Amino acid sequence: MTKIKTALLTAAAVMVAAPAMAEWAPNRPIEFVVASGAGGGTDNFARTIQSALTRNDIVDAPMVVLNKGGGSGAEAFLYARQNAGDPNKLIFGTNNVYLLPYVAKLAYTTEDLQPVATLALDEFLVWVKADSPYESITDLIDAAKEAPGTITFGGSQSKDTDETLVALIEQVSGADFKYVPFNGGGETGVQLAGGHIAANVNNPNENIGQWQAGAVRPLCVFSPERMAESEPIGDDMGWHDIPTCKEAGLDIESYQMPRTVWLPKDTDPEVVAFYEDAMKKVAETPEWQDYLTKTSQTGAVLLDEELASFIQTNEDNTVKVFQAEGWTAAE
Amino acid sequence: MGNLDLLMHGFGVAITPMHLMLMVGGVLMGLVVGVLPGLGAPNGVSLLIPLTFALDPTSAIILLSSMYWGALFGGSTTSILFNIPGEPSSVATTFDGYPMARKGESTRALTLAFMSAGVGALIGVIVITLLAGWASNFALQFGAPEYFAVYFLAFAAFIGMGSASPAKTLVSLTTGLLLSTVGMDTVTGEIRLTFGLDQLLSGISFLVVVIGLFGIGELLSTVQEGLRFRGVGSKIDLRDVLRTIAELPRYWATTIRSGLIGIWMGITPGGPTAASFMSYGIARQASRKGEAFGTGRPEGIVAPETADHSAGSCAMLPMLALGVPSSATAAVMMGGLMIWGLTPGPMLFATKPDFVWGLIASMYVSNLIGVILVLATVPMFAALLRIPFAIIGPMIVVICFVGAYTVSSASFDLWLVLLFGLVGYLFTKLGYPLAPLVLAMVLGHKAENAFHQSMILSNGSLEIFFSNTLVTSIMLIALALLILPKTLQLGSRLRRKAPVE
Amino acid sequence: MTVRRFHAEVGTAFATAGLGIAAVTGAAGLGFGWEESGPQPGYFPFYVGLILIGASLWNLMRAFMKHRAAVLHERNSGEIEEPFLGRENLGRIGMFLAAMAGFVIGTLTLGVYVASTVYIAWSAWRQGGYRLWVALAIGAGFTIVQYVIFEVIFKIPLLKGPIEPLLGIY
Repeated sequence: MTKIKTALLTAAAVMVAAPAMAEWAPNRPIEFVVASGAGGGTDNFARTIQSALTRNDIVDAPMVVLNKGGGSGAEAFLYARQNAGDPNKLIFGTNNVYLLPYVAKLAYTTEDLQPVATLALDEFLVWVKADSPYESITDLIDAAKEAPGTITFGGSQSKDTDETLVALIEQVSGADFKYVPFNGGGETGVQLAGGHIAANVNNPNENIGQWQAGAVRPLCVFSPERMAESEPIGDDMGWHDIPTCKEAGLDIESYQMPRTVWLPKDTDPEVVAFYEDAMKKVAETPEWQDYLTKTSQTGAVLLDEELASFIQTNEDNTVKVFQAEGWTAAE
Repeated sequence: MGNLDLLMHGFGVAITPMHLMLMVGGVLMGLVVGVLPGLGAPNGVSLLIPLTFALDPTSAIILLSSMYWGALFGGSTTSILFNIPGEPSSVATTFDGYPMARKGESTRALTLAFMSAGVGALIGVIVITLLAGWASNFALQFGAPEYFAVYFLAFAAFIGMGSASPAKTLVSLTTGLLLSTVGMDTVTGEIRLTFGLDQLLSGISFLVVVIGLFGIGELLSTVQEGLRFRGVGSKIDLRDVLRTIAELPRYWATTIRSGLIGIWMGITPGGPTAASFMSYGIARQASRKGEAFGTGRPEGIVAPETADHSAGSCAMLPMLALGVPSSATAAVMMGGLMIWGLTPGPMLFATKPDFVWGLIASMYVSNLIGVILVLATVPMFAALLRIPFAIIGPMIVVICFVGAYTVSSASFDLWLVLLFGLVGYLFTKLGYPLAPLVLAMVLGHKAENAFHQSMILSNGSLEIFFSNTLVTSIMLIALALLILPKTLQLGSRLRRKAPVE
Repeated sequence: MTVRRFHAEVGTAFATAGLGIAAVTGAAGLGFGWEESGPQPGYFPFYVGLILIGASLWNLMRAFMKHRAAVLHERNSGEIEEPFLGRENLGRIGMFLAAMAGFVIGTLTLGVYVASTVYIAWSAWRQGGYRLWVALAIGAGFTIVQYVIFEVIFKIPLLKGPIEPLLGIY
C-alpha cells in the first residue's frame, strides 16, 4: 500500500501538471494547530508554511493558525486526539510529539497522530560567553570534570531537547554539569550574554544576535557535517567555520531537532497524500528557502517511510538518554 | 547627541504618507482588539504577521507596533466603562476608573486615562531615545535572582497596605498563587494540580479568570441592584474633555513617579501589567488620602495608565536590543522580526539604523495619533452606557464569553468564566479584595520559577538574593515597601493614642 | 427564601478551604520537600495551600463570632439583620445566571452564533419589553457584527454548531 503511494508520489513529482493526482482537496478552512505560543520557533515554522502556501497558490482553502502551546505543546497533540479523522487540521511541532509521552503522563500517545512530513532540521551548538576561558568543547568538559556540578548550562524548559542534549553530553563525556531551565531560547541567550550561566545549547537563530555583537561564541555544532557556508557573523567566523562536535573531540555524531507536520490519525490516505504533496511544494518555494537561510536551519524533506525511520531512530536514541537519566514517567 | 541625530533620521523614515496610513490603520485595529476582552494585543499582532510579509520590515514593525499602542489605549475603555479589562495591563485601571465612571464622570475618567497613557508612552520613548545603549546593557545584569527580586518588589509595592481584612487579603493572594501553579512547571517539567483534567494541562489563563472575576462578576452585581448601569445620564461634552486635560498638570508628581516605575519595569523583566499594579500600589501609599483610593480618585487612574504605557514602550528596548520580550505582545513581534530576517540583538542598532530609529520615531507619531483617535471615540463609548441594560447586558455577556474563548480556543474556558464570575461577585460582596488574586496570577509562577532557578544556581542557599549590589538593593527596597507602611501606620496609631491616656 | 451574610461567609470560607485542601493533597503527591537543588515541585503549592486553609479557618471563625453578635443584637433590640440577598434580588440573579448558563450550553451545542442571537433576542424581548421581531433583529444584528469582526477581519474561528455548515459557513 505505502509502496504504491510512494510510486504515485514519484510519478506526480515527474508530471508536475497532473492535478488529478490529489483526489482529495480541502473544502473548508484548514486549521494550523501550533504546538508553541505565538512567536515561538514552531510558530514561525507554521506561519512561514502558511505564507508559502498562500502566496504560491499551492492550497486554495483559507488557513487559520491556532496556538496551543500549553504543557510544552501537549495541548496541541491532545487536540489532535480529540479531532481524530479530521482532514482539516494540521499539527505543527518538533520531536516533542513523540518524546513528550515518555517524560510526562499525558492522555495521548504518538499513535494518535499521523506523521506527514519533516521539513527542516534545527541545529544545536554549544555556546559560551565571549570572554570565557573555554576555547573548545574539550576545555569545557575538562573543567566540568575537575569541578563536578559547578559549571552551569542554561537551556529552554525541563526534560526537553536542551536538557536531553546536556544529559547526553554528560553521559558521553563523563562530565557533570549543572542544568538550569529557563523559559525559552531567547532568555537563555541573554542569560549567557550577561554571564549568569557558563554555557548553553541554543539553536543558531536563538544566539545569532549575541554572536554578531561579540557577546557569545560557538564551540561546536552537533551535526554530522559542518553547517552551510555563510557570510562572516562574529569574530570573522561564519557558520561553516564552526567545527562539528565530533571533530572537536566530543563523540556525539548528531543531535538535531526536526520541524514536523502531522495530521490527526484515521484520515484517508488521499488526505495524507495531498498534504505530503503540498509540503513538498512548500520546500521549493523562495519563502521557504529564505526561512531556512535566515534561521540557519538545514532543509530536509522527509516523507513516508524515510520519515518513519527517522522518527524511529530519533525516538530510540533519545529514549536511551531518558532512561539513563531516569526521566521516563512511571506508568 | 548621536542618538538625536539618529532620531531625526528616523523621523525621515517614519513620516511618509504610506507609514502614516499604516499607523492610523494599526491604531484603529488595535483599538478594536483592545476593546474586546480576550482578543488582546498578542492575538491581534500575531494575526497581522502574515499580512506583513508583503511589506518591508520597517513598515511592518510600524504597523504591528501601532496596533499594540492602539490595543493598550482600547483596553482602558472597557475597564472604565464596564469594569472589564480589555487588556491584562488595564486591570489596575478598573480600581478607580470604574468607580469614577459610576459617579457619572465617565468622560473625565476616559480622558484622564488616555491622556496619561499618552504622556506615559512619551516618557517611555524619550527614555528609549536617550538611553538606548545604556539601558540594554543594564538589562543584561539581570539573572534569575534579580528577576525574582523584581517580582518580589512588584508584590511588595502592591500588597504593602490595603484596607481589606488581612485574612481575606491572604485568601485572595494564595488563591491567585495556587491558580498560577496549575499546569506544567517550567523548571521541573512536572505537571501540577491538574487532577487528571486535560483541560488544565496548559494552566488556567489569567485573562479568562480576569474576564470572569471583573466582567461577569460586575454584571452580577449590577443585576442584583436592579437592571441598569449606574453611569447612565452622564453628559457627553467636548468641554468635559478639555476641562479634564486642563486638570492633568495637577497630578504631575504621580505622573513622573509612575513614568519612572514604568521605565523600570519595562527595561527589567517586570512588564506593563506588573508596572501598572506597582504604580497603583505606590500611588495609594504615597497619597495622604490613601483610604479613598478605589472610590474614583483621579490619581488612581493616572498612576496605572502612565506606568502601563511607559513600560509598554520601554519593553520594546530589551526586545530589540537583547531579544528578551518583556510582554506577550513583544514576544509575538519578535517572532515577526525573525520571519523578516532581522535578528534582535545589540547589533540591530548598528546594522539596521533605518529600522530601529524608524520604529522609535514612529512611536512618537503613532502614540500621538492614538491619543487623538481614542479621544475622538470617547463620546461614542460613553454613549454605549445609554443603551438599556436588557440589551447591552447580554451583549457584554456574549463579548466576555467569546473573548475568553478566543484566548486559546478552548470550550472549557467558558465554564471557567462562569465559575470565576460567581467567585468575583461573592468576593466583592463579602469584602475579599480581587487585586491580590490577579497580581498573584500574573507574577506568581514567574516569581516561583525565578526563585527555583536561583536555588539551583546557589545550591539551595538564600544568600544568592543578597549576593551583589543590584539584587541586594532591589530586595531591600522591596522589604522596606513591605514593612515600612505597616510600621508607620502602627506608629501613628500609637501617637494618636498617647494623648488620650 | 433569603440568604444571610452569615451563610455566604461560611460557604465561601468552606470553598476556599476546600481549594487549599485540594492543593495540599495534589502537591503532596509531587513531593514538597527541599532538595539540594532547591524546592521540589510541590513545595510551593503545598505551603501556599496550608496558608490558604489557615486563612479560611480564620474567616470561618470570624463569621461565627459576628453571627453570634448579630443574633444577640437581634434578641436584645429586635432589629433584624439585613439579608445578604433578599428574595427579589435572588430571583433576579438566578434568572440572569440561568440565562447565562443557557447561553453557555447553547454555545457548546449549537454554536456561538445561534446561541448569542437567541440569548440577546430573548433578553430584549422578555426583559427589555421589545417586540419580538425587534428583539430578533437586535440579536441577529449583533451576531452578524460579531461574525464579521472575528471570522472575516481577524480570521479567528469561533465555536460553530450543526447549523452553520448548512449555510456554507465553516
